[in-house]
Amino acid sequence: MEPGFSLRLDNRLLELDRLADAVEAFGEAHGLPAKLRFQVRLVLDELITNIINYGYGDDGDHVISVAMGQEGGRLRFVIEDDARAFDPLTAGAPDLVSEPEQRQVGGLGIHLVRTIMDRVAYERVNGANRLILEKDID
Amino acid sequence: MQLVERESGEVTVLELGGRLDSNTSKVLEDKVMEILGQGKKKVLMDFKDVDYINSTGLRVLLLALQQLKKTQGKLVLSTIKDYMKEVFEISGYTEIFPIYATQEEALGHFA
Repeated sequence: MEPGFSLRLDNRLLELDRLADAVEAFGEAHGLPAKLRFQVRLVLDELITNIINYGYGDDGDHVISVAMGQEGGRLRFVIEDDARAFDPLTAGAPDLVSEPEQRQVGGLGIHLVRTIMDRVAYERVNGANRLILEKDID
Repeated sequence: MQLVERESGEVTVLELGGRLDSNTSKVLEDKVMEILGQGKKKVLMDFKDVDYINSTGLRVLLLALQQLKKTQGKLVLSTIKDYMKEVFEISGYTEIFPIYATQEEALGHFA
């Protein structure tokens, strides 16, 4: 991976502002169009929000690391955290077909991640979650 | 997030701006509940100045629609930035929400 951007976030939702700034800087440096910048920010936001909200069994401080880079015609992102084991690829699909009155509201974030990204891989390594995401650039 | 409420005839127009995310969507949710509590049934959300939305924001839209449907109300959306439209499609929202390019066209939905 070419030198890209990496940051370490605390497990607080306000850190998502720093994430947004980093994605913006990454998008600028790589000349990414507005739609792609938005989608990258959304995907990372959804995943990191999940980790912060649901990942930890304690109230302690934790670090979530995010790396962003470009390899040829694709963008690559790696998220690592020490939260409880969670593979987003095994999460249930959201309800996108029921009438709006009956439609369940959960699961949308992970659905967005899986739809927007071209490849998602999950590993559990030494007690840490590692999620590798790739997006082809048209 | 910015939120300006105004009335256009019987329609309550919410002009939104900024981000609709985990830190801000509660503001919109509370406003929607307030409007519904006043018995209003026609709501238009204008996304003209919204530059970011995530699943938390999208969820508030669905909850608002579900509440309005209970009273035969309507929720119409307008002026979503091009780069965000695909996310509304992926979420299945283009099937359940009337979405218009401009606020004026959206107001026409209620006419």
